[in-house]
Amino acid sequence: MNRRAHGRAVDSIAAIVRLAAIALLVMAGLTATAARAEEPPSLAADVAAGKLPPLAERLPRVPLVYQPPPREWSLGRYGGEVRTLMAKDRDIRMMVVYGYSRLVGYDEQLRLVPDILQSVDSADSRVFTLHLRPGHRWSDGTPFTTEDFRYYWEDVANNKELSPFGLPQALLVEGRGPKFELIDATTVRFTWQDPNPMFLPALAGPSPLYIYRPAQYLRQFHAKYAGLEQANALAAAAGSRTWAGLHQKKDEQFRFDNPELPTLEPWVNTTPLPSTRFVLVRNPYFHRVDSAGRQLPYIDRIIVGITDDKLIPAKTGAGDVDLQVRYLRFDNYTFLKQGEKRNHYKVRLWEKALGSQIALYPNLNAEDAEWRKLMRDVRFRRALSLGINRHEVNEVVYFGLGKESSNTVLQRSPLFRPELRAAWTTFDLKAANGLLDAIGLTARDANGLRLLPDGRPMELVIDTSGESTEETDVLELIRDSWRKLGIAMFSRPSQREVFRKRVFSGKSVMSVWSGMSNGIPTADMSPNELAPTAQEQLQWPMWGQYYEQNRKGGEAPSTPDAQQLVKLFETWRNSDSTAEREKIWQQMLAINADQVYTIGIVTRALQPVVVRNNLRNVPPEGIYSWDPGAYFGMYHPDAFWIDTGDNR
Amino acid sequence: MLQYVVKRVLLMIPTLLAISVIVFTIIQLPPGNYLESYIAELQAQGESVDPQKIAFLREYYGLDKPLPEQYLHWAVGMLRGDFGYSFEFNMPVTKVVGDRMFLTIIVSFVTILFTWAVAFPIGIYSATHQYSWGDYGLSLLGFLGIAIPNFMLALVMMYVGNVVFGTSIGGLMSQEYIGKPWSWDKIKSVLEHSWIPVVVIGTSGTAGMIRRLRANLLDELQKQYVVTARAKGLPPRKVLRKYPLRMALNFFISDIGSLLPHIISGAEITAVVLSLPTTGPMLLAALKSQDMYLAGSFLMFLAFLIVVGVLVSDLALVALDPRIRLQGGVVR
Repeated sequence: MNRRAHGRAVDSIAAIVRLAAIALLVMAGLTATAARAEEPPSLAADVAAGKLPPLAERLPRVPLVYQPPPREWSLGRYGGEVRTLMAKDRDIRMMVVYGYSRLVGYDEQLRLVPDILQSVDSADSRVFTLHLRPGHRWSDGTPFTTEDFRYYWEDVANNKELSPFGLPQALLVEGRGPKFELIDATTVRFTWQDPNPMFLPALAGPSPLYIYRPAQYLRQFHAKYAGLEQANALAAAAGSRTWAGLHQKKDEQFRFDNPELPTLEPWVNTTPLPSTRFVLVRNPYFHRVDSAGRQLPYIDRIIVGITDDKLIPAKTGAGDVDLQVRYLRFDNYTFLKQGEKRNHYKVRLWEKALGSQIALYPNLNAEDAEWRKLMRDVRFRRALSLGINRHEVNEVVYFGLGKESSNTVLQRSPLFRPELRAAWTTFDLKAANGLLDAIGLTARDANGLRLLPDGRPMELVIDTSGESTEETDVLELIRDSWRKLGIAMFSRPSQREVFRKRVFSGKSVMSVWSGMSNGIPTADMSPNELAPTAQEQLQWPMWGQYYEQNRKGGEAPSTPDAQQLVKLFETWRNSDSTAEREKIWQQMLAINADQVYTIGIVTRALQPVVVRNNLRNVPPEGIYSWDPGAYFGMYHPDAFWIDTGDNR
Repeated sequence: MLQYVVKRVLLMIPTLLAISVIVFTIIQLPPGNYLESYIAELQAQGESVDPQKIAFLREYYGLDKPLPEQYLHWAVGMLRGDFGYSFEFNMPVTKVVGDRMFLTIIVSFVTILFTWAVAFPIGIYSATHQYSWGDYGLSLLGFLGIAIPNFMLALVMMYVGNVVFGTSIGGLMSQEYIGKPWSWDKIKSVLEHSWIPVVVIGTSGTAGMIRRLRANLLDELQKQYVVTARAKGLPPRKVLRKYPLRMALNFFISDIGSLLPHIISGAEITAVVLSLPTTGPMLLAALKSQDMYLAGSFLMFLAFLIVVGVLVSDLALVALDPRIRLQGGVVR
């Protein structure tokens, strides 16, 4: 057992001891007064009427006790509803992200801890034994057991019709899947031949890898259980072509659009699509309790209104919501601040976890041969980076609140090193011009523009997706300083899909987009963003495609550094120790910083979060991040509560 | 007459067919397809996409098939009443549209009534009192209605509604009534919210109608039969009601053709600005995200309504005005 797994085992033993102690307390309390763990008032009537079993029977035998986090936090009171807004019906999935009920999940210190699972044992990242909580139930009251894992493994993942494209990526190591063992009603084991460090982070993702299904509910749609004829008839009646289509449609744990589908999230969606108002009610079988042994969530109902995304800041400012972050942008800040007093809310500024708020992506796969040669020349990329006055950008566009930086990990990440952030980011026109001269770009035209080797003036066109004026504002400032390098820069706004197509096909020479999406990684999170592994990577789309499609499409990376990055990434995938993974991360970060594959500009961008004054336990400062973090998820919205001011 | 109707109905078939081809082509014109814009949207929000899932969806939705085949699939399906599948909502198109249609029809219907109620008296007044102060004043108001863009008026009214009257921004009712059964409170809430869209959408229509009614009526008022009627001593109101007003109404009947589709898709931009739960914003969103069957079926439905509306208004005109004959070599 390696150090990490050992650490986890120690952690989980400690946790079990703690939990056992609390469970004892709870049980003692139950037997003594039965008032120790109070019923949520909104459920009391149903319990009294016999429609719901009492709390003790609804909770798993060992519930997850949510330990108060190290920030201002208080035990809550039950009741109330929280209103929030989304722009599209499909956004209802955000409630799965905010609910953040996962087999394992990240806590606020970005440690992976068991959540739905009681514990996980891992040996060399090869063998994972998952222990469920005995007595855990789905939101409809049916037991949540290893049968739900078996159903997924045998009847969904390995069913040719439901999964025609095989197992999900995170379950494959070198193209091979795991061995699945059902040990007992609460224990399953996954065994790979080689280490699979992607497994646990995939389970903890905001859009997680679901390796379990509510079997009891889904069987009625499955040909194997319902019979082919019956299943197909059901599908035809629902307007689906095959039973597999209907099964897929009903089985969307992440889309959250099927109110019948049992869930393990804190709130259950009760409204089918389409709607302009979704009502989510508390899951009476939720597995988390607070440190006083009371079942979470505190808040009874979540109301999600659907409205046009451009109206969301306006409605937020008018006080129509209790908690809002999505579709608010930093440039709404002053407007939102204005309504604070009148409408009784506070605007908080959270930090975005992007490696860089805005980054330039030289396209190493550009179609134009001359430009491609330059883009692949590290001296050219460095010269462009040195030619940006980041301080000015920060002051002008971000009120000086940002931090000048290359596109790398943030200070919060344990992998952060100051020299990575500073690499090639000082504004130094002389050095930049020197580099350009050294490449041999010395000829200039009458306007002082440098000439490409084939005689064209250096007019660099940057593609933007045309979504925000922020990008164009930044580019405007960069244009001025690059002009002093003898390079004319133009921006070419287009539509998002057109933009991507142009970059993927190499028509675009350089593009602008946000920086690294996960700026707060630990060594156990995947460094895939640092190596050419996906087509969506704007600096080397074809190299990424080559990896993504198993060397069948795209183009093989041709520079030694890029090849080295792929090799390092593969070593990381096969590594079984955190220490080794950390070393690999550091190497990859160093190569990226030194090679300036992406040109970061300003980091620590801020995200406004609007919180009603009486909503408690929402952190005043936090990270706004998709993965890791799940936006609010990491901060446990199930433990947010509404202070009504009376001393109930 | 019957023969004429049958011919017109038969003529609809190739018309609709041609429209369906054009609609499908136009929807496919922008680069990419629904899945690509879906992926792009997720990534713009910083979310990740599972390539396996995308591959499954591409096959399931038939997006990997050649375009003519996709078109045939859609067109043949429509004949059987299957309007295809909305990718965005993951359900058949008919189910998606159903709920919104009701509110849309209500809003549009009330708007049309509002337009008529305001435009008729004003139109008649300004025609009978031509070049009076009243005529000038009301015409000015009408021109203002035409000149101010709907979306701007909507924004201003929304601000006023929120700050002065405390109405929540956007929507057709307060949040708490959505999805609830109808009750007095709900109706009150709808009335409280619906005056903004009705006035906003109504103003431009009203102004147009005032001008047309005024012009038509003025033409008729100067004709000799009016003079004769007056000379014979008919009371002025009866003269007006009995002859020139009826003659001036022809334009009104022929408007029905464009009115029908207007009920369904009326005032998309205003509806988007006000975030109304009507079909307009849905059509726009479907076009933006390239949810092609939803958008296509919508447009086809509108085309169908126009074709039917034109036929109905033609027939109504024939019935109302004996001077109109079914000419053009169709009957003869």
